[in-house]
Amino acid sequence: MATPAISIQNLTKLYPIPFKREKVTAVKDLSLTVEPGQVYGLLGPNGSGKSTTMKIVLGLVSPSSGRTEIFGRDSTTVESREDVGFLPENPYFYKFLTGAETMAFFGKLCGLSGARLRERTKELLALVGLENAADRRLGGYSKGMLQRIGLAQAMVQEPRLLVLDEPTAGVDPAGSREIRDLILDFKKRGITVLLCSHLLGQVQEICDRIGILHQGVLVREGRLGDLISIENQTELILENATPELLAEIQAAVGRSNGRVVEQRQPQTTLERYFLEVTGSPERVIGDR
Amino acid sequence: MTAPAATPHKAFSLARVYAIAANTLLELVRLKVFYFLLLFALLGIGVSFFTSKMTFQEQSQVLKHAALGMMSIFTWLLAVLATAMLLPKDIEERTLYTILAKPVPRLEYLLGKLAGVLALLAIALAVMVAMFALVLYAQQQSALAAVASQLAPGPDLEAARQQVRADTFTANLVPGIALIYVKAAVCAAVTLLLSTFASSSIFTIIVSVMVFIIGHVQPIAREYLMITEKGASELARFFLGLVALLIPDMRAFTLLDDLAVAIPFELFMQTAGLGVLYVAVYFLVGYLVFAGKEL
Repeated sequence: MATPAISIQNLTKLYPIPFKREKVTAVKDLSLTVEPGQVYGLLGPNGSGKSTTMKIVLGLVSPSSGRTEIFGRDSTTVESREDVGFLPENPYFYKFLTGAETMAFFGKLCGLSGARLRERTKELLALVGLENAADRRLGGYSKGMLQRIGLAQAMVQEPRLLVLDEPTAGVDPAGSREIRDLILDFKKRGITVLLCSHLLGQVQEICDRIGILHQGVLVREGRLGDLISIENQTELILENATPELLAEIQAAVGRSNGRVVEQRQPQTTLERYFLEVTGSPERVIGDR
Repeated sequence: MTAPAATPHKAFSLARVYAIAANTLLELVRLKVFYFLLLFALLGIGVSFFTSKMTFQEQSQVLKHAALGMMSIFTWLLAVLATAMLLPKDIEERTLYTILAKPVPRLEYLLGKLAGVLALLAIALAVMVAMFALVLYAQQQSALAAVASQLAPGPDLEAARQQVRADTFTANLVPGIALIYVKAAVCAAVTLLLSTFASSSIFTIIVSVMVFIIGHVQPIAREYLMITEKGASELARFFLGLVALLIPDMRAFTLLDDLAVAIPFELFMQTAGLGVLYVAVYFLVGYLVFAGKEL
């Protein structure tokens, strides 16, 4: 069995309250495993413990008890971060740096240098569609561009795990779509993704497995399809069906023990409609 | 997509420290902190005008005192203001998360930040020294021309020329300037230590200024204690001893009063060594605080 990309065992995090003896429980006895190659969605309302869990996985916060591992390495060690790329929520990188300088800076932190670093910078800027903005300072980047440079820097050392905190927060639908496509592209390349997002529609589109946190406790966890499918119902989508055919189906259902719950015309998503109207290209950026 | 290209992780990497230091320096340069050097130049010109009616010796002395005093103040201000904003800004803007989520130990991050500020101070001081040397050289040339017009060629003229040259670039300027740098480095290290646990840049700046003031007045308090040793309470002695241990004697780094007299090399080395020791201790304490900090 392959080593899990993330292994969290009995994780608890308590934060002391200043000038009081009490402590606030941010995460309580959390255990979960993210297998390599999965896109895992960590969901939960504000204050549910998602960010704390992520910070512990990244070694930014130490656990009160329990253990977290990244590809078998204790996540409190600096070495474990060789395999991780992180995009924080609303990333504000150094505004005084250009896109290319940002990539070079983060690349150097990961041990890249010289021609290899220049090559990697060029490659990643092209991947996220920022090759034409490489020499512009980040202070002049839009929200969507910042998220994309954030994704590029997270990928700089070619990590096996990406931790993304609200990667599409505040991004317009076209930008959001592009980021979603990038995540799907990473998945195709076998990169494991731990995703925190409030955009449940997007999570549903891209995640293989989800965990729902509520008040620091993991209340549901499992394969997305298993969790949200309605077991005793079946969906049948027909194209060019005549009224006679529909009547026959209704009659056949009536003869059996089944029941037609709803009959309606399927609708496109608002996102797809918006992209059609605004003419935004629907494509996978990585395929350019 | 190419294969993983990074080199294996090292527990400590000078390359990473250099990357953070270079980035810190670039940040401060792009924040246009060097504009203050224009103020230094303006003040220098002002002093030149003010001293134009003095004799060369007086002029030279006033210029040296003013220039070294301004260098000391400007490097201190730069050290405190530049260092105070570095850590809180990175925490507030979450750049720190992105950096520490890479395989970067906190020690390297903090060391890189301090090295960046020290590089900035060195560049700023070098530019100020260059400006100062230029003004001093211009004064010297003007004085040499005046001497040549007043005296006939001969031993008297040569002696006068030598006197002018000796009065211009005295050997004491070098250790004086070096100690200005050490003093600014100590102030930067104190400010960095404060910023590891302070909640805002304002708090860091205020406390750092207080440390600077206490560092300047503590020798006076020590002298008072020595005079009234029998009368001073145990508590007062303990308190002053503690202050003397925690905060260096900032006046020890100021050699403005000794410009006319040669500074013994041993004294210079002792003072510089003490400064380096304080920088190292403040940095290590700052690191210990930062290492346990929950982000």
